[in-house]
Amino acid sequence: MTAIERRDFLKLLGASTLAGVSLNGKTAFATAQPHVVVIGGGVGGATFSKYLRLADEGIKVTIIEKNRKYLRPYGSSEVITGHISMDDITITYDALRDKYGVNFIFDEVIGIDFDKQRVRTASGSNINYDKLVVAPGISFDFDAIEGLDQEIADTKIPHAWIPGKQTELMARQLKAVPKGGTIVVAPPPNPYRCPPGPYERAGLLAQWLKEHGNPTAKVLVFDSKNRFTTDVNMLQAWHRLYNFSIPEGARKLYTEEQLATMPDHLEPGMIEWVMGEMGGRVLGVDPDAMVVETEAGKFKADMINIIPPHKAGKLALKTGLADESGWCPVERKTFESTLAKNVHVIGDSSIADDMPKSGYSANSQAKVVALQIKALLAGEEPGTPIWQNTCYALAGNTDYGIFVSDVFRLVDGKIRRMPYQRFLPFDATEIQYKLSAMYQQNWMRAFTEDCFA
Amino acid sequence: MNKVSKALLIVIGLTGLGTAQAGKVSGEMAAQTCAGCHGTHGYIENSAFMPLAGMSEEHFISAMKAFADGSRPGTLMGPIAMAFSDEEIRAMAEYFAQFPKERGGQQ
Repeated sequence: MTAIERRDFLKLLGASTLAGVSLNGKTAFATAQPHVVVIGGGVGGATFSKYLRLADEGIKVTIIEKNRKYLRPYGSSEVITGHISMDDITITYDALRDKYGVNFIFDEVIGIDFDKQRVRTASGSNINYDKLVVAPGISFDFDAIEGLDQEIADTKIPHAWIPGKQTELMARQLKAVPKGGTIVVAPPPNPYRCPPGPYERAGLLAQWLKEHGNPTAKVLVFDSKNRFTTDVNMLQAWHRLYNFSIPEGARKLYTEEQLATMPDHLEPGMIEWVMGEMGGRVLGVDPDAMVVETEAGKFKADMINIIPPHKAGKLALKTGLADESGWCPVERKTFESTLAKNVHVIGDSSIADDMPKSGYSANSQAKVVALQIKALLAGEEPGTPIWQNTCYALAGNTDYGIFVSDVFRLVDGKIRRMPYQRFLPFDATEIQYKLSAMYQQNWMRAFTEDCFA
Repeated sequence: MNKVSKALLIVIGLTGLGTAQAGKVSGEMAAQTCAGCHGTHGYIENSAFMPLAGMSEEHFISAMKAFADGSRPGTLMGPIAMAFSDEEIRAMAEYFAQFPKERGGQQ
């Protein structure tokens, strides 16, 4: 660049910056208020909308959502055991609308015209966007489990991984488990929403049985995986609370010091974990006979909770925002889809490398994308992102909390976890478990407020 | 040099700084990762979590350093504090300090 070119370039740069500064981020050339449309009013869509309106009131934000109320999935296993009620997980959109001026269209999206930048809804509306944020959560691959489909899940073999009628069905089924009966919990293969969640659920169910005069009942965890997020802390807790013994095949996965905290119990415990290499993968289910078929054989149960493998939300699959992996590829810095311009996919549906699919991840991605979209609409360069995730879980009873917590950065175009301790140490103190349980309960409220209020 | 071009130069200076620091995480970007537990802009009531809105910069920085070096015991704040640079911690401190302690209050 010659001196003259540089001077001209700087002049241009200065001029555009001056315009930006003097008009508080809005360019003098904008003929109309930019319109950002958000599909999905879950954690990602709600947090994004709130934070974009906080960052710039000059941007119009419209959420298109099927349901008038949101049932929060995080912590919803506590409804199954009656620790909290459906009302406790029900969230209205009042604050987003009244306090932050977010527009709502309660309707179903049936298509997106990426060229015309227009969303079509079931009731026949066409909604134009300057930027579109798609946050459709997850859907389930029922085909992967022989004998399981949506109807069976709704009536007999609930996954309850999206809260609703299936959560209530599980609560009824739990009460009907006979003395000495068997519950099967089958966590999905990676990647899936809320990595510690299925194991937390197994502990909550065992705790409920223990407290309700049924300590001889069993919770069998059939798993396609050999390890899971928070496994050392969770297995220790099961060992302490429910007489759990480490399966022989798993001993090689842990250090001598870790194993020393979990000597085998003489009696079989309330929870048993059949991991992947022991044949824990679920192949199918016979809902009439209440039999689960795994690689290790067939098991009869009184209550079966199979959480099927996950894919991106249905809308992402239907509109072609997902690739052959079943998830949505995005440019990590802005979460703009690599398949459609001016469309950003956030939350569980997106491919986010080391970031788990979780509420906190969706919330963190949403805030980053709010700042990036604000910058892009103002003609500015998006900023350097940083993300965080924290998942709290109860190991079983309400005094025993654990967590996973990470900070993530953009490294060579991928989202990478920073290399620090992620869990409570295996020799954590009783007070640390208690504190974590207290934080877990407080977090439900604090997090919900940050997303929705 | 007339006043206009002087003003222009100041703006260019700021823009230049922004470009040079393209790899830097802004205070807002870093601070908003805290809000999932500590509340939007650090406002939180009746909670186990520490409110961060209106916290003095010195207090925020010393708390994060104490978590990071282990001198302040905790559960997950130690590793989280370690993952942020000194510069980022300072930027987050400045960000939270700009808010009044009470929501909607005057500073």
